[in-house]
Amino acid sequence: MIPLVRFKLAAYTRSHRLLQPVIALFAMLAIFYSSPGPALEGYSDSAALLIVVFAWAARSLLDTEPPTQRLISMTAAGNPGREVTSGLVAAFAVNLGLAAVAIVAPLIIRFGVLPAPGDLARGVGLHLLGVCVGTALGALASAPILPSPATSLVALFGGYTAMLLLSLTPIGSFLVPIMPWMRATNSGRLDEVLLPIATATLLWSAAGVLAYLRLRRSRP
Amino acid sequence: MRLSKVFFRYSRRGPWVLRDIDLTLRPGSVIEVTGKNGAGKSTLLRLLAGIVPPSKGTVAQRPRVVGYAPDVFPIGQPFTVTAYLTHMAEIRGVSPAAIGRLADRLEATHLLEQPLGDLSKGSAQKIGLIQSLLDPPDLLILDEPFAGLDAHTRGELPAMIGEIAANGGTVVVSDHQNQLENFPGADHWLVAGGTVTTQAGERPKQVVIEVLVDAAEADEVEQKLHADGYTTRRAL
Repeated sequence: MIPLVRFKLAAYTRSHRLLQPVIALFAMLAIFYSSPGPALEGYSDSAALLIVVFAWAARSLLDTEPPTQRLISMTAAGNPGREVTSGLVAAFAVNLGLAAVAIVAPLIIRFGVLPAPGDLARGVGLHLLGVCVGTALGALASAPILPSPATSLVALFGGYTAMLLLSLTPIGSFLVPIMPWMRATNSGRLDEVLLPIATATLLWSAAGVLAYLRLRRSRP
Repeated sequence: MRLSKVFFRYSRRGPWVLRDIDLTLRPGSVIEVTGKNGAGKSTLLRLLAGIVPPSKGTVAQRPRVVGYAPDVFPIGQPFTVTAYLTHMAEIRGVSPAAIGRLADRLEATHLLEQPLGDLSKGSAQKIGLIQSLLDPPDLLILDEPFAGLDAHTRGELPAMIGEIAANGGTVVVSDHQNQLENFPGADHWLVAGGTVTTQAGERPKQVVIEVLVDAAEADEVEQKLHADGYTTRRAL
């Protein structure tokens, strides 16, 4: 499976498509860190708001290949499941790279000093949660699932906005708790709620990925 | 390999593309699939290749190494031919040494350093064939492989198909242009109305009868035999 992941990453990085999420990433980082503030709050907002960039990157990676190449890759890899999984792994890898930039860039451009190791670790953890949600959302908005680009974009941005807004409601802690994690960080209570927030986020991401795998069975 | 009571449709509420298909593919056989546009030939090939699972029914004993060449090779990819084929060889876990050998045989050596995007339809078709043959396939599926090919490759391809079959592989070819019509021993499948009608390749055994006639009557006798559907050969 690793050669297929490498092939997908090579195709993606050689295409111009990687530029779009990278530019969006830097624009958003510039906004997040334009005014001073505590490192952990910056990381928490960044992880939550970059979900849409991670989703965009995952979708664009999965849609880079022509549809027929996926069919060729399925037979070359031995079965369709390997092709679909390789796509997810490649998208996750790209998003890990983007998340690494989001962690390191503020160290250089704003914080000046290294944040406390605990805050850095929490920042990394929150970005990992963001990468999981974003990759799942991007996969569900990719062309095999939603062939119309218009529907796909509405699903991607609408899905993210819906997650954001619904997480403000009382049932928010049971959905992807984006707002709750930003609020908890801002009020210094992140550690108290980190476990349920991480559990809910990972469960929803897993549900999204499973739905994607299921749908791809009849949508090569 | 066996398909039993196979039904297929692309979505739960969509129309059946294929219905109640029972097919057996013997090792060493060559199968030519014909049918009108939109009859479901490509869908049948994808089912055979294992790209999509049947909606109902089972596909059993699919061979391990499957080669698949699509009807239109996707050239919109940022690689040179060699870089692309090397990736495909790595995905299959085979040595890229086969690339040069196959390119040589299909007269595609001059294409190897070209970007995929610059390939003409026929050249792209050759690259599609090469990738499907990188690992000698136990099941080779070719979707309209003859479209756009030059005369050399059109002649070479049936020979390559014959070699794979001789080594115990199964070859399924969807073929609009009936290039395999006279392929010795090929089975013929007709896809129409969501079903597949098969016609086995074992043709009636033929014998040669010598008929001695006066030279003056030769034309007349030959015409009579032709009219009855026989093939004649003349020798003095």
